[in-house]
Amino acid sequence: MTGALAIASLRRHPIRTFLATLGVAIAAALLLDMVMLATGMQSSFRRFLLMQGFQIRISPKGTLPFDSEATIGDASAITRALTANRDVVAVSPVLGAQVHIVQRGHARAATVFALGIDGLVEGDYELTAGAHVSAPDHIVVNDVMQRATGARVGDTLDVAAGLDPQLREYTGLRRLVVVGTGRFYYTAVNQPVMAVPLATLQAMGGSDRADRVSLFMVKVRDRVEPEVVARWINETLPRVTTISTTAALHEVDSRLGYFRQLSLILGAVSLVVGFLLVTTLVTVSVQDRVGEIAVLRAIGVSRGHVVQQIIIESLMLTVAGAVSGVVIGLITARFLDAILSTLPGLPAAFHFFVFRSSAGWETVALLVGSGLLAAIYPSWRASSLPVAATLRGEAVA
Amino acid sequence: MTAGVLLAALVLQTPAPAAIQPPTRHVTATETRQIAIDERLAADANLRVGDTVVLSAHPGGAPGDTVVIAAITQRGTDPSDVARDEYKVRLHLSELQELSGSGDRVDRFAVLTSGGAERDTALDRINAAAFGFRAYRSADVAVGTSKTFQVVSRFHRAIAGITVVASAIFLLCILLLRVDQRRHDIAALRLMGVSRRSVVWSVVVEAALISVIGSGLGTIVGWTASLLINWHYRGLYRTALTFALVTPGVVTLAVALAVVLGVTAGYVAALRLVTTPPLALLGR
Repeated sequence: MTGALAIASLRRHPIRTFLATLGVAIAAALLLDMVMLATGMQSSFRRFLLMQGFQIRISPKGTLPFDSEATIGDASAITRALTANRDVVAVSPVLGAQVHIVQRGHARAATVFALGIDGLVEGDYELTAGAHVSAPDHIVVNDVMQRATGARVGDTLDVAAGLDPQLREYTGLRRLVVVGTGRFYYTAVNQPVMAVPLATLQAMGGSDRADRVSLFMVKVRDRVEPEVVARWINETLPRVTTISTTAALHEVDSRLGYFRQLSLILGAVSLVVGFLLVTTLVTVSVQDRVGEIAVLRAIGVSRGHVVQQIIIESLMLTVAGAVSGVVIGLITARFLDAILSTLPGLPAAFHFFVFRSSAGWETVALLVGSGLLAAIYPSWRASSLPVAATLRGEAVA
Repeated sequence: MTAGVLLAALVLQTPAPAAIQPPTRHVTATETRQIAIDERLAADANLRVGDTVVLSAHPGGAPGDTVVIAAITQRGTDPSDVARDEYKVRLHLSELQELSGSGDRVDRFAVLTSGGAERDTALDRINAAAFGFRAYRSADVAVGTSKTFQVVSRFHRAIAGITVVASAIFLLCILLLRVDQRRHDIAALRLMGVSRRSVVWSVVVEAALISVIGSGLGTIVGWTASLLINWHYRGLYRTALTFALVTPGVVTLAVALAVVLGVTAGYVAALRLVTTPPLALLGR
């Protein structure tokens, strides 16, 4: 009965109800997008870091992984020290460097990013075709590098580690064979990348790169807290910075904190807009029906029933808007994520807007809460109507 | 230390972040090498001009150079490094090369030309002779480095688009309700012989006024919010950058958009009422 009256009230002004629902839907869409933005970066980055199960990164003191050209010396000794710890399952040393692909008939060499890896414990790429690097002259390349150089699996490339402007010649030149193609997790979307055995890349760089790496990735045993191992590394190796997943998340949060704060502000604004819209509409609806409400009260309908009807009316508007808003929000989130994905240097695996069912429920719950709040004033107004005076006023009108 | 030397020193970045050990004693500026540090480092490490520190290219107490802080510099307002919580130390190029073991190497050269055709000629000649390096116009470098902000700007525009749609619906809804509330008045006016055109016109003027007043209030709220945003982020990132800027162009756009949306919404709402017979509006 109460629900039927609420539906009848909404159906009486279909355009008004449609616009209010649409308004709430847009507010809900924006709110969902902002909830996704606020939580998505964290979850995406966590998933991104733990993609291959390495929970700890070790970089040169005072830097983040690949944030500078700094490298860590005595890499072999550090690897030995790390693997000696019984809580450490795997250590993957990685050296990053720019190399040049020297092609016949091309005046300028193509510059690509090379990752020197240990083929047995690498965690930087997923093989899409061919084979992994298993010999000193093997390389695995990504699609971007394939397009940039035209190299195919089985091709041989002349790769140089540097250029000597005075002698006008390439340094550290090696002939390497493309044995596979891969999808690299941590490099930028449009960056040409190749994986090469660590020892080869170190040798190509001469004495400057001898036994040096840019990063160690460390996997710890199950049920061992990575923070404990990170603390041990910090104490044992004072020349490096150890970054656990938690610390990395904290760092990315501080660097991309702007987006989180923006999402909080815009989320709050959309919630307020939805609240105001429902409050206004339900208040006007009550105002239009004061006569009816007075009659209902006069024939014995309790205040509670009147309040219930107004709350249901408010909730119907909110829920209908919220459900449509979730659908609109998912579409707009894809559009917004596509824009932010073009940020330079961002890996393909990283997303700003990540949908989780909890985000959808959170959005609906917030809007239902605001719908309940929006019903407070009109409910109070309806329940406190002076019955006799209102009926007299309506009769005169 | 001249600005020229400082700039020259900047073109070579240390391969590893230089480690700074705490001040030991105050010495005169002529005794040792001099460096300039940025105000963030000075504040965090409690360093002052005249303090002596040891600069090392490698952390962990590796031997380094004992230097005197000769100047404390203000950080540039570069948006690209605003979120990077880094310290900056400036020193003479040759000293940095020696400290970092870079030999006679630099990361980049800045070349001043008299501009125009001479700049293009110089660029072509450098690139023709270059092996291992490449010359770019400063403007091209600026375009490349500002890509992040172009993307963020596109994101802001997309969010603004969604906000405008939400505002338009909100405005249409409010004006529809407002005009609907006055259906008895409008019916009376129509029965007295006031033309539909006059009724629509009066509603549209009212809608335009509401939009102008609303956007005026919105401008004040926006301007106040921009002050708060700038105050918050300048403190957070310790920079003089302006994060939110209310310009006459932005205000004009917002007011124009609000008036256009308001007038359209008012017109649609008024049209709906004047096309309904007056007696029906009175419920007869």
